[in-house]
Amino acid sequence: MSANAAARGSALRLPVSQRILLYLLETRAQFLGVWRRPAFSVPTLAFPVMFYVFFGIVMAPRGFSTAAPTYLLATYGVFAVLAPSLFGFGVGVAAERDSGALALKQTTPMPAGAYFFARVATALLFGVLLVTVLFLLGAYAGGVTLYRGQWFLLAGAILAGVLPFSALGLMIGSWARGQAAVAIVNVVFLPMALLSGLWFPIAMFPDSLQGAANLFPAYHLSQLALKVVALDAGQPPAVHLAVLAGESVVFLAVAALGFRRFAAA
Amino acid sequence: MSRATGTTRRSLWIGLVALAAFVGVLLTLPEPPEPVAPETGSALETNFAVVEVLLFDGTEFRPNHDVWIRDGLIHRVGQRLSLPEDLPRLDGRGHTLAPGLMDSHIHALGTALADSLRFGVTTVLDQFTTTDFAAEKRPAREDLARTTEADLFSAGTLATAPGGHGTQYGFEVPTLASPEEAAAFVRARKAEGSDWIKIVSEDGSAYGFETPTLDSATIGALIEAAHAEDLLAVVHVSTLERAREAVSLGADGLAHIWADALLDEAEAARFAEAGVFVIPTLSVTVGITGDSMGEELLEEMGEAASPMQRQTLANAFPTRAGTTEAAIGNVARLHAAGVRVLAGADAPNPATAAGISMHGELRLLERAGLSPAEALAAATSLPAEAFGIPDRGRIEEGRIADLLLVRGDLSTDLSRSAEFAAIWKDGFAVEPELAPGEREFPAAPEDPLLSDFEAGLEPRSGFGWQITTDALRGGTSAAEFRAEDGALVVEGEVVAGFAFPWAGAIYFPGASPLQPVDFAGRTTLRFRVRGDRETLFAMLFGAEPGAGVPPTLPFPVTPEWTAVEIPLADFPTDDPAVISAIAFVAQGPPGRISFALDDLEIR
Repeated sequence: MSANAAARGSALRLPVSQRILLYLLETRAQFLGVWRRPAFSVPTLAFPVMFYVFFGIVMAPRGFSTAAPTYLLATYGVFAVLAPSLFGFGVGVAAERDSGALALKQTTPMPAGAYFFARVATALLFGVLLVTVLFLLGAYAGGVTLYRGQWFLLAGAILAGVLPFSALGLMIGSWARGQAAVAIVNVVFLPMALLSGLWFPIAMFPDSLQGAANLFPAYHLSQLALKVVALDAGQPPAVHLAVLAGESVVFLAVAALGFRRFAAA
Repeated sequence: MSRATGTTRRSLWIGLVALAAFVGVLLTLPEPPEPVAPETGSALETNFAVVEVLLFDGTEFRPNHDVWIRDGLIHRVGQRLSLPEDLPRLDGRGHTLAPGLMDSHIHALGTALADSLRFGVTTVLDQFTTTDFAAEKRPAREDLARTTEADLFSAGTLATAPGGHGTQYGFEVPTLASPEEAAAFVRARKAEGSDWIKIVSEDGSAYGFETPTLDSATIGALIEAAHAEDLLAVVHVSTLERAREAVSLGADGLAHIWADALLDEAEAARFAEAGVFVIPTLSVTVGITGDSMGEELLEEMGEAASPMQRQTLANAFPTRAGTTEAAIGNVARLHAAGVRVLAGADAPNPATAAGISMHGELRLLERAGLSPAEALAAATSLPAEAFGIPDRGRIEEGRIADLLLVRGDLSTDLSRSAEFAAIWKDGFAVEPELAPGEREFPAAPEDPLLSDFEAGLEPRSGFGWQITTDALRGGTSAAEFRAEDGALVVEGEVVAGFAFPWAGAIYFPGASPLQPVDFAGRTTLRFRVRGDRETLFAMLFGAEPGAGVPPTLPFPVTPEWTAVEIPLADFPTDDPAVISAIAFVAQGPPGRISFALDDLEIR
């Protein structure tokens, strides 16, 4: 405990350029660590693209409307940032803690912030990559056209999802142990993606399920993204923003409790 | 640390290049063609699209829809339609697109059809006009040609008792007196082209007067006969009692809401079960109960109104009857029970105007508890369904492109229903402004000689001559006329038993009966007359012929032809130069009458 405190204390005394370097180094290491683990990177990159091509382009009702490719572009975009955030934090943090890597890192001069920054940035990079691929597919294979501002806003809304989803992942990772974390993340990830209407339009679900979707951050984020293209369910954006912010705070608070328990153990 | 710095710098560069590439992609992704802002009367002919608009499809609001109009029909409706590159698109953002309104209760006379269309009413369901007017105007509804008038569906004339309600308007109306005549009466209407049968059940009791009315057996027989001919039967009622009777006799629809009593919920449920629809015409009802909307609408929309619209909005009913609470309450209960409520304003009655009053009617229906969507449905999809008109009333593929583009969100503010960005009829943009020549009543013909009977009854100008007697008001006087030796000969009998009996002939200077004509600059009514009474009377009907007793002046008559000149200024009226009809009648002592008229002039 005292070593940790000393390490953190020394980090505070590092010059700014050194601290930035540590942030970047950790980000690079984190990104490459994930990138080079095909069990994680391949499904994370492939599934949203595969699903979008299949449901949003090949199978979508076509001909006289681009409503389906546009709708699903927004929701598969959200789906695309969900996996790297949730798995990166949920599974990654739990695994590093189990293996002792987390404790090791805490003894280094690296600022604690760099650890979280690296994971958020990694999820964001995966998100940028996926959004690029999805947008190109939507535009050139799906016939989606949006005003310039809408393209940027849609990308921004989707990428902003990294924050609440990372908070959710962090909460899971802070409490669960390695293999259990994988199971829990999967149990959260797949039903939430489906029930939030990320795979199929939410309007296709029975009313009770549509009501239940209001619980999930993925639903609210997808509604914000859909609002950009005016295909949302019509709730005010303030509601979505408030739920996302509120849930993120709760996730982070519960995560803090989890880390305290870990530190005490 | 230097190796770490080098690697990091390289990574940072890769990251920055990736970010730049990402922004580059976002900057080059395809954009839709920028739509043009809607401008009043934008001429797009019949092929265009309205994009990203709040759609009211006839039953509900749907945000962010595109509607593609092709060759005057609705071609595609949906979100984010794939539209041809060169198709003109109108920016619908901030606007509501609704089907053209259908007025379920109008009396189409004069400029009513053009007045309706300029205010977004693209189809009118007329509940009684002259047979000639209906026959002339009906065919236009069959084609998609550019027009300045709303399409007309019409009951034609109505079924009423001799001297009953509907006979008082100065043109001849066939009547019937017994159930045995019903089948032949209905067949005759069908042969004339009536789209349904309008039946009058009105004894005047709601308004404190007495008028002959059809009895229950005859109304029943008419309804049955209408159904046998595959026609709907719409019954005019003004009391709960008569509404009840009409429903029990199998009426398909009721015209007018009664303001004499509130029906209870159980009865409303029975009406719903019977499947009857109701056209409350609250616009005219509130004019009688004392809460006229005429002034409010005149102030709001008077600028674009025609002379006839301004005139009829400014008119007031001479009597008061019933309460607004009862009228609105009845509509509320019927609607709550599931009875189909249809919007109709009953223009051109006092305090109403064709087209304009439909927007007032929507507000009144909202007061009766209808949501904006329900009120709009009452003016679009419901009339189309109730009257079996399949090609309009909804924004749906294949239907006629009769459309309104309104500024604002009608789902939250229905009072903006007349803030048009555009009106389309058959896909053609409608010119919302009156042409300079239409701002006033049609001008009088240059030739002061209106009718000289050299070619029989046919006048030199205007609609011409008809018989007028107190039978219009329930009296029993009678007259007939013929052209003889280049003059008009009127013979008949003034019969006592009515407060002010009269009999004679009436001349309409306009193209249709009671169409006002502007005789500005003329000063004198001149004609030749001879007859067996010492005194006859000239009645001058102004811009609003239905309002009260027309200004009347006596003139002397001898058995020999004499020329009579009456200065128009002598008639006790504000504007004697606006004339919709002139009647020459015998009044006073009962007995035979015989007189002749010739060379009618207004100079």
